[in-house]
Amino acid sequence: MSRRTLIQLCVYGAVCLAILLVPTFVDNAFILNKYGRYLVFGILAIALSLSWGYTGILNLGQATCFGLGSYCMAMALKLRTVPVHTGSEGLPDFMVWNNVETLPWFWVPFHSLSFALIAGIAVPVLFAMLLGWFMFRGRITGVYVAIITLATMVVVNLLIIDQQRFTGGFNGITDLAQLEIMGFTFDAYGRSSYYLIAGTLTVCLFFALAVTKSKTGLIMQAIRDNEGRVRYFGYDVAFYKIFAFSVSAGIAGVAGMLYTIVMEFASPTFLGVSLSLSVVIWCAVGGRQSLLGAMLGAIFVTGMQGALSESEAFLDTWMLIMGFVFVLVVLLLPKGLAGAVEMLVDRLFKHEKPQSERTALSQAASQTGPAQ
Amino acid sequence: MTDRPHDDHLVMRDILVSFNGFHAIEGFNFAVGRGELRCLIGPNGAGKTTALDLICGKIKVTAGNILFKGKSLNKLEEHQIAQAGIGRKFQVPSVFKELTMRENLEVAYCKSNSVLANAFRFGHRSEDDSFEKLAELVGLQDALDRSAGELSHGQTQWLEIALLLAQDPELILMDEPTAGMTHHETQKTAKLFNRLKGNHTLIVVEHDMGFVKEIGDVISVMHQGKMLAQGSVSEIEQNAAVKDAYLGSGGISGA
Ligand SMILES: Nc1ncnc2c1ncn2[C@@H]1O[C@H](COP(=O)(O)OP(=O)(O)O)[C@@H](O)[C@H]1O
Ligand SMILES: [Mg+2]
Repeated sequence: MSRRTLIQLCVYGAVCLAILLVPTFVDNAFILNKYGRYLVFGILAIALSLSWGYTGILNLGQATCFGLGSYCMAMALKLRTVPVHTGSEGLPDFMVWNNVETLPWFWVPFHSLSFALIAGIAVPVLFAMLLGWFMFRGRITGVYVAIITLATMVVVNLLIIDQQRFTGGFNGITDLAQLEIMGFTFDAYGRSSYYLIAGTLTVCLFFALAVTKSKTGLIMQAIRDNEGRVRYFGYDVAFYKIFAFSVSAGIAGVAGMLYTIVMEFASPTFLGVSLSLSVVIWCAVGGRQSLLGAMLGAIFVTGMQGALSESEAFLDTWMLIMGFVFVLVVLLLPKGLAGAVEMLVDRLFKHEKPQSERTALSQAASQTGPAQ
Repeated sequence: MTDRPHDDHLVMRDILVSFNGFHAIEGFNFAVGRGELRCLIGPNGAGKTTALDLICGKIKVTAGNILFKGKSLNKLEEHQIAQAGIGRKFQVPSVFKELTMRENLEVAYCKSNSVLANAFRFGHRSEDDSFEKLAELVGLQDALDRSAGELSHGQTQWLEIALLLAQDPELILMDEPTAGMTHHETQKTAKLFNRLKGNHTLIVVEHDMGFVKEIGDVISVMHQGKMLAQGSVSEIEQNAAVKDAYLGSGGISGA
């Protein structure tokens, strides 16, 4: 393992540790819940960093998979609501209001929590495989991928709203039970949920890091760089893209499930255009070619958004300020904050070893050993 | 053409390529024996690059057949052709500019196409010194950990040649490999190619007649999408049809 990889592992580990330690200093349930939400967005940004930052697939429908995961979790928790909120024979309340008489077949397996947890990942992954197969076998690239993913999300979103009898429509699925695993309850406003999210975030981050460090990860970056050339070395580009797209979808699904837990509902807005575009902004600000950068970008931007929108002074102008920050970062730091930090580190590094000729802007993921 | 089906590594038969009705290549026949180094020359627009595009699968024949080791390439995708053992250097050097040279080599060294197998492959081959040796061979030993985007045009040419060596295909296609190289570098390339021939089959598209004389045994001349002549350097230089074809482009030796 090269020295750079080692340093990277340490930094990633330190950040995760810091995140896990937050509840020792914060005791306010409301704030913990809010931080938990930010972390969920951090996971979502990791997912987009994999597909966009590493593979060059600009997925403008990242929220589709997020929403699918979220609904899977909501369906399971809805079926666990205490009877007073649920219709006869455990039928979810909104189904009763919509004159549904029996639980639809695709709801039935969600009685099992394990099934729901698997589905929360498997449904987005299968969805991404299908869409990816269609797009990447057909060699659709660039802006067309962005348009198709965006359009698909709108379709899924409309479908969910339209099928009110089975999905709760506009209102989504509300009034959920708390997640309970082996007798342990995850309270949306308690430390337990925060730890669940922070722990999952750590796993997702290191899993994504492992993917990028593998040979497949390297080929993903080569595809981003020069897709055509990769083919002539014998790699089936479509499969690599489908892989990246699906792994990203799976991580987004995990984030969606967690989001249902902290928000205590699922809503069609989770598959919204505005959330999807926000993820792109988080990644751009934090540095899409760095998993940690993208994640921190999400936490930083949503955190700032939260702080600004809550303070009276900025009540009217916070959107403007966020827009300004975004434009500034994109104009001045094409590789986001992570790129800037790395440039600084590299400068120092260069200072120590003048003969080293590494690029200042070379991306975090493509780091190998220091120049001999 | 010669009638040695068992010796022929690559055969192109009655090829037609039509770009919206324009026949860039028509009635083209070509065969290269195993281990041979074949130079492919011809005036600009003769169809040399198009011929290489056909072999590596970048474009498909409109009619005709391409056989590699006796098997047709017509239905294969680019990556399948590469896996079958054909590598290509492009006229405009084509490398991964955002990756370091070492990473470029790592990509070129394609042991397995499988996504999942590669997802569990972490040990970099760079841990043995084969990449160092390759880099030394092409004179880029100091650039291994620099990003390829920083290299000069000539160095990028060398890098792409190194990528092909890492890929190690049976049949190597080179499109104007010495373009942008100094005289000294061109000679170095000639030496390298002479070493490769025998173990590899090479098809080299070239403008520089000096270079062609140094490496070529048999030269094939293309003109207006057809095979015009084939033979040794001196035969080609004497050939009247070839002289005519090059008329106006400063003669055959005029780069
Ligand atoms: N994609 C294409 N579409 C239309 N015409 C093309 C295309 N590629 C090449 N050609 C034409 O085919 C002819 C052969 O081109 P090329 O193979 O690049 O020649 P060269 O021998 O100089 O490498 C030229 O007349 C060129 O304009
Ligand atoms: Mg050409």
